[in-house]
Amino acid sequence: MTEKNHFDGRNYANYFNAHRHILPNAELAWLNDVRAKAISSFIEVGLPGPKVEEWKYTNLNLLKTTIYETSEKIATENTDIIQKYALEGVLGSKVVFVDGYFNSELSDVQKQQGVVLTSLNEFISANPEHAEQVFQESKNQDSLGELNTALMTGGFVLIIDENIKLAEPIQIFHIASEKSQAKSLRLKNFINIKSTSSAQIIEYFISPDNIDCWRQNVTEVIVGEKAKLEIYQFQQEGNETIHMNQTLADVKESGNFKHYSLNIGGKISRTEIKPTINGLYGNVDLRGAFLGRNGNSHDVFTHMKHMKPEGDSNQSYRGVLDKGGKSAFQGKVYVAKDAQLTNANQSNKNLLLDRGAEANSKPELLIYADDVKCSHGTTVGELDNEAIFYLKSRGLDQKAAKALLVEAFVAEVFEDIKLQSVKSRYLELAGSWLESGD
Amino acid sequence: MTMLEIKNLHVEVAGQKILKGLNLTINPGEVHAIMGPNGAGKSTLAYAICGKEGYEITEGSVTFKGKNFLELTANERAGEGVFLGFQYPVEIPGVSNMNFLKAAINSLRKYRGEDDMAAVDFLKLIRAKAEELEMKPEMLKRAVNVGFSGGEKKRNEMVQMAMLEPIFSVLDETDSGLDIDALRIVADGINRMRSPEKSILVITHYQRLLDYVVPDFVHVLANGKIVKTGDKSLALELEKNGYAGLGIDENAA
Ligand SMILES: Nc1ncnc2c1ncn2[C@@H]1O[C@H](COP(=O)(O)OP(=O)(O)OP(=O)(O)O)[C@@H](O)[C@H]1O
Ligand SMILES: [Mg+2]
Repeated sequence: MTEKNHFDGRNYANYFNAHRHILPNAELAWLNDVRAKAISSFIEVGLPGPKVEEWKYTNLNLLKTTIYETSEKIATENTDIIQKYALEGVLGSKVVFVDGYFNSELSDVQKQQGVVLTSLNEFISANPEHAEQVFQESKNQDSLGELNTALMTGGFVLIIDENIKLAEPIQIFHIASEKSQAKSLRLKNFINIKSTSSAQIIEYFISPDNIDCWRQNVTEVIVGEKAKLEIYQFQQEGNETIHMNQTLADVKESGNFKHYSLNIGGKISRTEIKPTINGLYGNVDLRGAFLGRNGNSHDVFTHMKHMKPEGDSNQSYRGVLDKGGKSAFQGKVYVAKDAQLTNANQSNKNLLLDRGAEANSKPELLIYADDVKCSHGTTVGELDNEAIFYLKSRGLDQKAAKALLVEAFVAEVFEDIKLQSVKSRYLELAGSWLESGD
Repeated sequence: MTMLEIKNLHVEVAGQKILKGLNLTINPGEVHAIMGPNGAGKSTLAYAICGKEGYEITEGSVTFKGKNFLELTANERAGEGVFLGFQYPVEIPGVSNMNFLKAAINSLRKYRGEDDMAAVDFLKLIRAKAEELEMKPEMLKRAVNVGFSGGEKKRNEMVQMAMLEPIFSVLDETDSGLDIDALRIVADGINRMRSPEKSILVITHYQRLLDYVVPDFVHVLANGKIVKTGDKSLALELEKNGYAGLGIDENAA
């Protein structure tokens, strides 16, 4: 952690010291401690600079000088937005955050025996001891994660007791308003699905165009023995948003964790997924697509860790880059010495629609067990002109033909989704992305 | 009005002169067949009519129903009612036949100022057409032409033609690669498209198809031009004596 590789984060520490008393639940000494420890861990390291291997494709220069002040809670104004994004026929709870704060008016949290679904701030004030324990067991591992913990304004908590299968997916809306200009929106979420239980979560990240805000979202997940969690994310941020979304998952014996994402917005978008298989027969499936142009920078960073034998993991990502778009897929797979008979696959395919687009791909395999099956593959290609003419000869115009091919290219990673409404939304967004371009 | 009028057409591909002053006139209701040696420029003619990029028209005109076709893009020409049955249908991974046809039909309707076809009507239509051409319904769900056999691809072209109801179809070697039964099924499909308002241009190497789809005119394309025109008996003559029998040097194409 040399000075050279990291930017100095002391201005954030000053900001924290001046504002810590107004952060939610500031009166709780233990939480204050958690935040204070986090900020000192953060300044010890600082902000990752371009020489830090894991950040070499995403330049955080602008975070060095600009302080994005903590967002403020606003009164409910735009109620249509939930209607607009919510998926039809999905009947589970709706949890809505506006500018980094839980909004109870827009939310619809359904009570169910054995299920805790609540905002982090309420969870902390209602169960301080439990909350303290959760924070103590936190697996935060990087400086940006520490900064997030220090300055978080809220988040959600989902705890599902043993043996409960949630019938309907939970939808979580992360909305930013026009008032988030020059602000940071920092959420910390905890999900714990206990043995043999299962849940599905759909998340939306939405901010207006031309609003320069910095969103940080960190979710810590525990998937219990034989438990199952599926997360579906839609990143549709505005063109000026800095979007950072990190998911850390601890997968127990025979646990099953799926993470799907579609990234189409933001000036800087960074999706980090770090699952660790900590029990036998763990299963992790990471899939997603990113579509970028005109100053979008998409960065998907995965770190898949196999600590125990006979685990399966899969990573499939598709990138589509048009003029001025840039992407990086960095996929790390670590197989511990003990993790024999691991199956780990990784694939990243990219489609360049213009010479002025850039796709980077960097697989990294660290394999210490000898009896494993690991594969990885990367491709960069262009649209097939013969296919475009074929489509045009059937009546589709140039743009529609390209859009259909883009959708088809992306479709492969979403093919197996059983939630039809989620799958259709993914395809719809991918298919209309080109046409929404001007 | 004439359906298609091609005058003195010169086409270059990759800087190479392929068509060199081709003339062809097709009236409504007529079926024309074009035969000719490999590499003569038959597919080039089909592409030039349909507006494929990279096929540069250096001289001449293509007029379709009185419109200067050379000003229109490929999809606009399709909108005007032209269909090309490809010699080598293209595989499109990730796009189902069903979605492909839905997009095609609705694009054509949009071009003509009509609303999208209702989903139920579309399903009815596609099932009926697939049945007529004896295509298994599960093939409609598969990605366009991906993993289809040669014959299945050609049959798929015919399903598309039947769905899109063009007024002018160019069928480029649709009969190649078909087994005997499939040839009859496809020929029946072509004959169903015949009407006093519709015209068809069949490109073929074999007399066989022309037994079923009897042409009004048969042309021989060689050296980038139509070098001979006759009735259906010309095809029989070619079958018997080959191009050399007509005094056409195959290698000069
Ligand atoms: N993209 C291209 N680049 C270079 N040459 C081309 C290209 N397309 C066509 N040609 C050439 O143009 C000539 C005519 O080709 P075309 O496909 O029109 O022949 P054809 O009459 O359809 O032959 P066949 O009976 O074998 O289908 C050939 O010599 C071919 O090699
Ligand atoms: Mg040909």
